[in-house]
Amino acid sequence: MDKEQIYAVIKKHLLENVEDLQEADIDPQKSMKDYGANSLDIIEVVSCAMRELNIKIPRSELAEIKTIDELTNKFVANSSVES
Amino acid sequence: MDNILDYSLADFQFNDNPDVLAPPEDFETWINDQRISYCFSFFEQQLLRAPRSSTEILSNLDGQKRKVINLTSYNYLGLSSHPEVIQAAHEALDRYGLGASGAPLLSGTFDVHVAFAKKLAEFKQKEDCLLFSNGLAGNMGAMQGILRKGDVLILDEKCHKSLVDGGTLSGAKMLFFEHNNVDSLVMMLEKSRGKRVLVAVEGVYSMDGDLVKLPEVVAACERYRAAIYIDEAHSTLMFGPNGRGVAEHFGLEDKMGVTFGTFSKSFGGVGGFICSNARLIRYLKCYSSPYHFSCAPSPVLVAGLMKALEVATRDSSLRDKLWENVRYMKRRLLDLKLDLAGTESQVIPIIIGSSGEKLFQMATQLQQRGLFLQPVDFPAVPAHARRFRISVSSQLTKEEMNEACNIIEDVVVAGLKK
Ligand SMILES: Cc1ncc(COP(=O)(O)O)c(C=O)c1O
Repeated sequence: MDKEQIYAVIKKHLLENVEDLQEADIDPQKSMKDYGANSLDIIEVVSCAMRELNIKIPRSELAEIKTIDELTNKFVANSSVES
Repeated sequence: MDNILDYSLADFQFNDNPDVLAPPEDFETWINDQRISYCFSFFEQQLLRAPRSSTEILSNLDGQKRKVINLTSYNYLGLSSHPEVIQAAHEALDRYGLGASGAPLLSGTFDVHVAFAKKLAEFKQKEDCLLFSNGLAGNMGAMQGILRKGDVLILDEKCHKSLVDGGTLSGAKMLFFEHNNVDSLVMMLEKSRGKRVLVAVEGVYSMDGDLVKLPEVVAACERYRAAIYIDEAHSTLMFGPNGRGVAEHFGLEDKMGVTFGTFSKSFGGVGGFICSNARLIRYLKCYSSPYHFSCAPSPVLVAGLMKALEVATRDSSLRDKLWENVRYMKRRLLDLKLDLAGTESQVIPIIIGSSGEKLFQMATQLQQRGLFLQPVDFPAVPAHARRFRISVSSQLTKEEMNEACNIIEDVVVAGLKK
């Protein structure tokens, strides 16, 4: 799966979990927190996206990630290994 | 799963096993791994005696009974086994029997419940008080009873799970601000303009032992007319000139909309309570589920707890002793050049760092040397700051503290140098 597709999945779950967010407003260089996601929302987005993409990354490795783009890259790196 | 040690309890919340009565498959692979089950063997070790400063455990490491110095139990003031408390509970047991046999509204309210709630309200200088069977239920029940869909609950990101779960149950929108960062709190308050807003903080944060920056929090909340809920689980009976908590310590008790405490820590029992204005408490009696739909706390416990309150507040001797011990332990640990994070209380973390392996190696050696000091791992604390967490008790003697620090020096200081 390429980066574009992975980004689309993350974005879809972000839109589902955060109130009042429009797709056009999402800038991958920002953090989900910037769009009003709280830590519970972020866990939900990450877990749903990982499940849909069939990748599994320990949460302890995600703690340092700041932006949506960094998360996408982390998923890209892990999806190429597993599929 | 080839990197089993990188996984943690943070990774198995979701469960899509087709069998609803089974855990996720990878959870079982993980928890049955020898290295992980070794870490888990530190949990649920059996205490064979009261949680005094010296006690005895049945070690899960080797199945042996072991005499230990206890730096883990929350028995901060030693009240769980105070002779007067035990005596009061004994007498109540003879008079009332074991349980309350009813929810508070129907048949579970005894004279001791009413008397104790009145004493607590007076103690916390609020109009009224509500008792719960445990602290977690108190926080959950308060959030669920106070907040509704459309309201906003703003929490410090380090707030206890009971507050978070209560918020979820209430249907309110939850916003978290960076730990003790008032600018971040203000951002959240700004986002919540026009809503009913409750801000939840803790007097002492339970993993770092630092205090809420209450004067700044109060100033911000006053500007936005937001109400404050303070969880004084780890500060009641210990902080403030009269032991009323961190709000008293800062001279800001009248600014607290609701104050929460638990009976499981300094009180030495189990249960929880909130104090607030009489109108809110009256309402919550009807709408807070853990109060309304659950059996009242045992009158035996309540009688013991009422005595514990009396013993802890009739003079300052217990908390004076606690603070003397805290000062002593802190000085000894700082002399050892240990990282105690930002502790300002009887909760003293010793930061080990990112290595879970190191943490559990040290935990093993500590216990073999006779120190009951439990490891705290991710996700309870950040992955880069795994730690031990000391609960200082007023019961600790100089000899026990010296021996504990010697063991910590031999195991932790030496281990960190490796
Ligand atoms: C800050 C805080 N609030 C609430 C609780 C819940 O209290 P209890 O263990 O008495 O249910 C705890 C402890 O577990 C706590 O640390």
